[in-house]
Order: sequence, then C-alpha cells, then structure tokens
Amino acid sequence: MIHDKKAHKYGMVIDLDKCTGCGTCAVSCMSENNVPFKEDESDKKDSITWMRVYRLTNNKPFPDTEVAFLPRPCQHCGGKGDHGHSPCVSVCPATATDYGYDTGIVSQIYTRCFGCRYCMAACPYHARYFNWWDPVWPEGMEKYLSPNVSPRMRGVVEKCSFCYHRYQLAREKAYASGSDEIPEADYQTACTTACPAGAIVFGDLNNPSHKVHQIVKPDPHPDPLNPDVVGKSRNPKVFRLLERLGTNPKVYYMSEREWVRKLGDHYLDGEWDKVKNVYGSASHE
Amino acid sequence: MKVDRRSFLGLGIGAVAGIAISPVGAKLTDDFSIWTQNWPWTPVPPDGEVSYDRTVCHLCPGACGISVRKIDGRPVKIEGLDPYPVNNGGVCLHGIAGLQYLYDPSRVKSPMKKVNNRFVPISWDEALTMVADRLGELRNDQKPDTLACITGSDQGSVPGLFKHFMAAFGSPNYLTMPDLESWLVRTAKTLHGDAYTLGFDIDHSDFILSFGAGLIDGWGSPVACIQTMGNRRQRQATLVQIEPRLSNTAASANQWIPINPGTEADLAMGMCAVLLKENLFDPVFAQGFKGGFMRFTAMVQKEYPLDKVAGVTGISAADIQKTAVAFAKAKMPVALPGKGRGEGAQNLKEFAAVHTLNCLSGNVNKQGGTFVKPLPKYLNFPDPVQDAVALKGAAAAPLAGSVQELVTRIDKSGESPVKALLVYNANPCFALNDPSRIRAAFEKIPFKVCVTSFMDETAMVSDVILPVSTFLERMEDVPSKAGLAATVVGLSKPMIKPVFNTRSPGDVVIGMARALGGDMAKNFAWDSYDACLEQVTARIWGPLVRKGHVVLSENLPAGSVETDFEFLAQNPETVKPAGDLEFTLIPIDYFRVPPTVPAPSPFAIKTVSDRILKGTDMFVEINPQSAKNLKDGGFATLTTPAGSVPVRVHFNDGIMPGVIGMVKGLGHTLDNKYVSGKGVNINALISPKIEPDSGMDAAFGIKAGISKA
Amino acid sequence: MSEIENKTEHGSMDGATAGTAGDPKNDTGLGLGVIFFIVAFLICFLSGWLLFPKLLYSKHEQPFNFDHVLHVEETGDCESCHYLREDGTFSGIPKTESCLDCHTDEPMGDTKDEAIFAGDYVAKEQEVPWYVYARQPDCVFFSHAAHINAAGMDCKSCHGPIDETRTSRPYEENKLTGYSRDIWGKNIWGIKKNSWDRMKMNDCAVCHEKETGHKGYCFQCHK
Repeated sequence: MIHDKKAHKYGMVIDLDKCTGCGTCAVSCMSENNVPFKEDESDKKDSITWMRVYRLTNNKPFPDTEVAFLPRPCQHCGGKGDHGHSPCVSVCPATATDYGYDTGIVSQIYTRCFGCRYCMAACPYHARYFNWWDPVWPEGMEKYLSPNVSPRMRGVVEKCSFCYHRYQLAREKAYASGSDEIPEADYQTACTTACPAGAIVFGDLNNPSHKVHQIVKPDPHPDPLNPDVVGKSRNPKVFRLLERLGTNPKVYYMSEREWVRKLGDHYLDGEWDKVKNVYGSASHE
Repeated sequence: MKVDRRSFLGLGIGAVAGIAISPVGAKLTDDFSIWTQNWPWTPVPPDGEVSYDRTVCHLCPGACGISVRKIDGRPVKIEGLDPYPVNNGGVCLHGIAGLQYLYDPSRVKSPMKKVNNRFVPISWDEALTMVADRLGELRNDQKPDTLACITGSDQGSVPGLFKHFMAAFGSPNYLTMPDLESWLVRTAKTLHGDAYTLGFDIDHSDFILSFGAGLIDGWGSPVACIQTMGNRRQRQATLVQIEPRLSNTAASANQWIPINPGTEADLAMGMCAVLLKENLFDPVFAQGFKGGFMRFTAMVQKEYPLDKVAGVTGISAADIQKTAVAFAKAKMPVALPGKGRGEGAQNLKEFAAVHTLNCLSGNVNKQGGTFVKPLPKYLNFPDPVQDAVALKGAAAAPLAGSVQELVTRIDKSGESPVKALLVYNANPCFALNDPSRIRAAFEKIPFKVCVTSFMDETAMVSDVILPVSTFLERMEDVPSKAGLAATVVGLSKPMIKPVFNTRSPGDVVIGMARALGGDMAKNFAWDSYDACLEQVTARIWGPLVRKGHVVLSENLPAGSVETDFEFLAQNPETVKPAGDLEFTLIPIDYFRVPPTVPAPSPFAIKTVSDRILKGTDMFVEINPQSAKNLKDGGFATLTTPAGSVPVRVHFNDGIMPGVIGMVKGLGHTLDNKYVSGKGVNINALISPKIEPDSGMDAAFGIKAGISKA
Repeated sequence: MSEIENKTEHGSMDGATAGTAGDPKNDTGLGLGVIFFIVAFLICFLSGWLLFPKLLYSKHEQPFNFDHVLHVEETGDCESCHYLREDGTFSGIPKTESCLDCHTDEPMGDTKDEAIFAGDYVAKEQEVPWYVYARQPDCVFFSHAAHINAAGMDCKSCHGPIDETRTSRPYEENKLTGYSRDIWGKNIWGIKKNSWDRMKMNDCAVCHEKETGHKGYCFQCHK
C-alpha cells in the first residue's frame, strides 16, 4: 500500500502578507492536539506551542519601521536531497521520530521517546518541545480533550504532526467510501482551517491540482548551485527558512516584501543580492 | 546437617535460575517499560462517535457562527462555521478556546451569598428569595428608581428582559458598558436622529481611512474584519491607518500615518475642512444636510485650517491634504472611527467628525460605504404592566447617562442614591478607567447582585452571585453588532448540559420577577426563557430555528438620510489626555487578550508575547529615541496622575517618540492562576474624564512619566 | 565467618572421615546446597510460571454474560452490531441505544443476564461498562476500515472465533500496564498459535511486512 501508490508530499505555504499575527493558528493547534498549559507560559523556552508565531521587524527606526508575523509549525524537513534524512530523524537513537515516505510527514511517537532531546538540538527551527512536567489540566477541563491525539507525559519530546490524525481520519473516510484518493478538502490541518485571514494553504506538493502546488510550483530538479536543495519554489515571492542548509522543509513562506524574504536566512553583506536573483527567480521558471 | 553458606548460595542461585527461566524477568521488563510510557495518571480521552453541532459565539460582539465537534456528545473542539454570513468559516483564538471557559477555575458553580466577606454557596431558591426580598423593599418604600442595572450591551433578548424587568420594576437607571456598538448608536443619534446605528461595508470599499480602528486587532466583528483585510490587496483596496503606534493593522496598511495621541477628532475636522473648501463633497447626498451645515462649514474652515491641524496632530499639512483628497476621490471610500477595538473610553466628537467624512463623501447606504441603518427590531416584548409604584419610579430622571457618571454620582453623595445594583455580563470593576474608584462606589451600594458565569472583579464586590450558564450551555438570540453592513441574528443553542448548577440568564431574570410576585411576576409569565425567546422573536423564530440565523436586511435604507450638523457646528472641545507629564500613555488593544468579559482563557494567555508579559511583569512599549537612560528589557516605574506601577521596558521603533503603549486587559485578580496576577490593568492608571456632550468617559490615554527603577 | 574457619570447623566436627578439602563425596554442604538449589529453583520456577501470571493479572467478570452465538444467529453477522460508521470510523461495542433496535426494557428471553441488561441498563438508560478484550493503548491508532475494506480481512484474524462463544470469559487486566491480557496473549511467554493470540506492535509489523512489503511508518498506527 505504501509502495504501490504515488507518494504524497504534504506541505504548507503561509502568506506572510496576509498573516495578522492574531494567534488563532496557535490556539487551534493547541485545542486540536491536546497541548497543555501551565501557570506561567511566559518563559517561551519551555512553553509548548507546536505552532508559534514570531514577530519580524525590518529594524528601521520610526517612522520607517515595518512589522510582519511568521507562524512556525514543524517544517517537516525532507533532509539533504529530500531523501528523508531530516535533521531530527537522523539523530534519534530510539526511532521515536521517523520520516513517512508515503506522506513526507515527520512523526513523533511519545511512547517511544525517552527524552534525550538530541532531536531538539538538531532541529534548526526550534520546532520541538520537551515536556519537563506532566500535563495537568484544571479539575474537569480534561473533559475537552480529543481522543484523536494522545496526551503526552513528562520526559518526552513533542512537535507539530501536520495534524496527522486528520490524515488518518480522511483515509478511513476514503476507505469507507471505497476510494483510494483523499480529496484536498478532506485533509487540512487545524491551523489551516482556523486561520481567519486565509493565510495558510495546505495540501499535497506532489499533486498539481492542489492549491499549495500551484502557489509553490516546486522545482522537481535539485538546485544546480546546491544539489542538497530540492523542491525549491519557482514562485519568486516564495521562500523557505534556512533553505541553503538543504533541510528541504515542506513549509514554504510567501511575501511581497523583500525584507521579509531576506529574514528567511542569514546573509553576509552583499550576499543577498547575489542569491536572490537565483533563488526563486525567472531563471528557474 | 548444617545449613551453611553453600546452602544459601544454592538457595540464591536456585531462585535466580528458577526465575530466569520463568517468564517473570522478560514480562516484567516489558510491562515496566510500558508502564513508564503510559503512566496511569496521563488522561486517556474516551473515544466515540463524532458529531458536529452548530451554534453562535457570544464571547465578543462579533457573533460568529461556530461548529462544535463532539465525541459521543462531549464537545472537544470549536471551529468556524461555514457558511455563516458573519465569518464564513473563520474563527478566532478566543472562540476556539471557548471550551476552556466551560471548565474555567473561576466559574461560579452555584448561587452564592456574601457572609462576613466570604462567599458561601446557597440554593437557587434561597438566592432568588433573598434578591426578591431586598428588591421588594425598594418597591415597598416607593423607591424603585433606586435600583440600577448594568449590562454589557443592550441588544438581544436577554438585555431585553433586563430592560423589561427595570421597566416593570419602575426604574429608569438601566445602563450599558461602552462597546463599539453603543458608540455607533450614539454617533448615529447625534447626526441622523434616534433609532439608527452605523454599519460599514469594508468588504467592498476601495479606500479605507481608519482613525485607529484596529481592523485586524479586534475592531468590530473581528473575524469578519480580518477576512476582509485578508483579501484587501487582491481587491486593490487601499488602507490608510492613522494612529500613534504601528499596530498590526498599521503594519499591514498601505500607509501608516502616525498621529499625536488624542488628536484624531481634530484631524477628521481638518479633513472635513479640506473637503468643504475644495468642494469635494457629494452634492446629491448633501441635499439631506440640514441643521447647521453652513455653520459647520464656516466653523471648520475657521477653526481647523490645515496648518493648525498639522501642528496639533503632528501630521504634515501636505499629508493631510493628500489623504483627504484621496479619500474624497475614491469610488467607494469609508472612514472608520473607534480606536483599537472601538470600545471603552472613546469620544463622541471623534466618532461624529469621522462619520461626517463619510457623509461628505456621499458614500452612504451604498455598496462599499457606510450604512445608516435602523436599529434591529426583531424583538417584540409585550408592553410592561406598570403599577403605580413602577409608573412613578420609571418617570423619574435617570441618575446618569453612563456607568462612569453613575459612579461619580455615588462618589459625590454621602449616601448612595443607588440602593441596589444588578450587573449582568459586565465587569465594570475591571474594564472601566480607574477601577478602584468604581469598586469604592459599588461598596457604598447596600445591595449588589451579579449575574455572571465567573468570579470576576465585579462579582467579588457583590452581595449575591447568580451564576449563569456559559454560551455553550444555553439557548439565546445573538444579534451581530459592531459595524457590520447587515445585522445577522444567530441562534445559539446548548452544546452541552450545564456543567455546574447554573441557569440561563433569561431564566434568572424570570426567576427574580417571579420571586418578587405581584405585577412583577405577571410581567414575566413565561414558563421559561426558551418559551419567552420563542414568543419575543416570533417574527423570525421559524427561519431562526430552521437555518440557525436570519439576516435582517429588509429595512436597510437605500436612499438619502438626513444629517444634522448641530453638534459639530458648535465645535465641542476635544478631550485631551489629562496631566502635564512628559509622555502620553495609551492602551494597546492586543488581539490575543480579550477586551472585557470574560477574562482571557489559559490558551489566550499562553499566546501572549514575552515582550508583553514575562512571569508577572508587565512590559510597556517605548520608542528608543525617547527612552533616555532606560534599557530595553530593564525595569522602570511608570507614573500617571492616577498612580504608579513597576513595569519593564520594551523598545519598539513602531511607536511614536513620546508615547508609551501598554496592553489592555491584563492584570486580572480573579481566582484563576492561569490568568490572574499577570501584569497590570492599564485602566488603573487612567482617570476618567467625562466628555460633556456624551456624558461618556473619553479618557483614552493619560499623561505619564517613566523613570528607571 | 571466613572460608578457612569454615573449613576448620567442618573438619573438627567429623574428624574420622576428614579428607582433603574438596572431596566431593564427603561434602554434605554441597549436597545441601544442591537441595537448596533445587528447592529454590523449583519454587521460583513454578511460581514464575504459575503464580506470577495470577499475581500480574487481575480478573474482572463482565457485567453480565453475553451470548455471541445467539446474537449472530439472530442478526446474521458481526457487522449488524459492530459496524463502520459513515465516516469510516469503527463503532466498536454497541451503545445501549443500538441494542434497543431489538431489545426493550422487558427481557425477550428468560436468562438472568438479559434480565440484568433490561433492568440495570435499558431501564436506567445506562451504558454497559463492558471490559474490552482487544483494547489497545491510547498511543495506538487502529483503522478497522483499512483492514476490513482495503485489506479485505475478516474479524476472526485478529479477534478469533468470538462469534462462537456462548459465554463471556473473564477479562484479565495487567496490573502494571493496565492493558488487556489479550494483547500479550494467554500464554505467559506470549507464544502464539493463532493469528489472534497476540497483538503487540511486532505482530502488526510482521503482518504488514508480509502483506504490504513494509512495516509501515510510525504514524501509520500511532497517535
């Protein structure tokens, strides 16, 4: 079943010009995935938010200051050459996280994780979180927990799963109706459906009929300058975070604003002008 | 034979060998590792059949349709309802966190009365009898008008029941909290006469001139506004945002025009002057102009010349001129009043001046413009039967036009003119400026009844608490408010049986009236609130139940409306921030912290940035250019004429030099450790300042000083 | 007591037959040691096999006996009661409400079990708190739809011939893990004779590998 079908490659594109920084994606994610909360969540290092919204600024003084927001789920890296060797998967000694070649989704299995946190060290996006404490809900509040996602225990790492349980449910629905296809609308992450600005688009990057493919227009060939990079967008407004690392994230970002796109990586002086023409430029169309 | 060492060795080795080739070791190792993976204290949510149920969110005036996912009838997730005319599938973080309110630690679980400054649980019968006895005394003393009532808004059948209660009881002292809708109604009343409100078709407008309206920061119907802003660029509609701070709305706008805090009204008047001077107003719509239009024209030309307005607002004359002309020349312009969320302390002059721009543009009651629409009239309450006591009381002059005015009245009298107070769906002791003054005044009222779901700051000072079901546990009509072009009445339905011993607020009012007996009971002869709702909404009840919502559009005026310029023509004074300190402190309406009722959910607090709240420390924003010896992240003391608090400093280039910004809605003191004791309530730093013409508190900001701690 | 003292004392007690140290036929200590060894071995071995499972598992009787044979005769197949819902999720054990399609609060037969059902559950509108033999831990996602519809498997492959049972056997719960004994198997070594004898993760993996050529990725069966 895994090998006799064309593999999906689920991915996301987030329009940073539409994102209002309202935080709805983050709360929808917490509510969907049974993410707990503590008395003090202001220490963001130990605050578990699978989807976190970062504030970006162009660092210019008043009144030329500009601000944008960048929601950051797990990037579901394909690793160098998009072969499935994601930074976190490669270092896990317990096989508590693996790369699903059928979906492109990086898993995290709490019952297998023993909390060494190598994956957190390896993740360049700070997308992984450690449970320093057991989750505790105020009396009665555990009644709103969803059975589709296991509550975690202390001592394990957790992260965004692209709402994999929704994929499982969509598959069950397809099986029940005797179909093998999962319609685009049937598998959408909780952040995507919640975003009031419509800034998040989710779907199969391998499927040309999916909106996410049409926006990203992923390049099927490796980047000639850096063969580790695969699936680079042929849309000049679209970029990925730290793309040159070759982690090949499946989360793409989009902005009209050059200063925003430039914040997707660290560039040396003058470097941006050299790379920006190649990265997502007409030469790749 | 002697038991020796070898025997023991034999015993030991035998035991080990016996165990070793039994399954004990392998099995226990396996089981123990499984035990550590699924510790029994980790909750296991029960699985079951999935169902979806639709209802309407009451958490803010937005009135979004929501879909509740349930597992065997147990609600587990809230999502946006699609289609729904307000939010079309969209939803916000507070709506999603709605389920947390069901089990909130600060929920009032049964009726309570205060005994020796502590609340003790009592039965509903005892509570209602107690309330009826105390209120009955007022009527026996022929002083029904000494009862006052404060509700969050005055729309919908539950506020309608409270109004009906006050009328039958015989008191004119029914007041609401200053939400955006109340400001819009007040503005419409000033310019167009009674029984109107304003709606804005931002969806279709091609030029949005926002006087600080936080279109993606929670203004109006927040989800509807965010959706509109989400596709604004596609529609090529321009947004010009005028405010002292680079809010998220300003950051997303085509142009951000920083303005000196509190001078928005002057700018709007100045722009009116430009339009009138350059003859850029709509002659057709101007046919409806009456009452002082000429005087207004002359006044603005004289009092609000470009240079003067430029000086006051800090915006260049060229920019004012350019923006005003662009507004007037746009095809479908709309000017939006209401800084931030548009609720709380605003001022009528500003609302009226901004709306006058709409009137001058002539883009009124047209697509992409401003709608001057009649107040929704889908409710038909029977006329209250008033006995002699009620008739006399109801005819008395109201004590005040706003809660702040009422508080001033109480403050200034030796003995409170209010003998009993009903509060529903409002938290004035937190949400209004200078809450300690409000608390002190409330302490002087001999008997206070709080009808609430949560033990909030106002509930804490009351004598009896009548706990009500949250919006997910009850049926109610929910009219959309807050500046939408059309009014949508939604029907919210119980998604779950009440978790605690609570009742629907409508049933509470009916229960109070019944307990009072006599004519009061006769006025509330419904079996239950649900029966009352069906009767008073009879006109739309059928479709309301069938479809879940009704769009009230039949009375939307298409033609011209008369506009009265009397109020502005006399050039009312602009309310300025009080004090003479160096900085101006302004509240920041931050989407992730809800405005007033209820307090934030744990999820909402979790999303708050660590440059706003760190531990219990509150940050204030200041421009590094005016920070002097302050350090980014450092501690400081913030002082205003109303008080002084320790804060931490956050350098933000996106705030005007000389302005200090502080997020509004933090610093709760209720019994919920996830939400309480975090940060500072900015209202405690601002003293109210009443705008004479509206009777409303207009102190949006205040002068402040800040020094290194 | 040191080793040397031990030997000396031993020698002095039985001087006549004192031989060189280590003479096996004279070493009753060793003999005793062997006996102790055997006794201890037997006790531990037997308790490991016989007592340990009894201690490890607690037995629970079902609320009342359920006769699958009778119900299959009446309804025809498993799916009449245990069906896939429209959305593809599995209904599991029927709710009392579904039983009311046939039952009422008046028993149809004359068994005392049906009387319990009618009186304690139907009449009181309560769900029967069945113990579920096949319950997997919370971290497991199992899709009945995938196995029944897509793979065409029958219920028996995993659940055994439960349709042929007239009585509900006691449910055995592992006191440590809280899981049903069926997951590990009746055999305390977990030895498997039938495909349904054990349902640990490896059993899933073995079958998946055989049938699909791949064990599957973690998320396929975990949540």
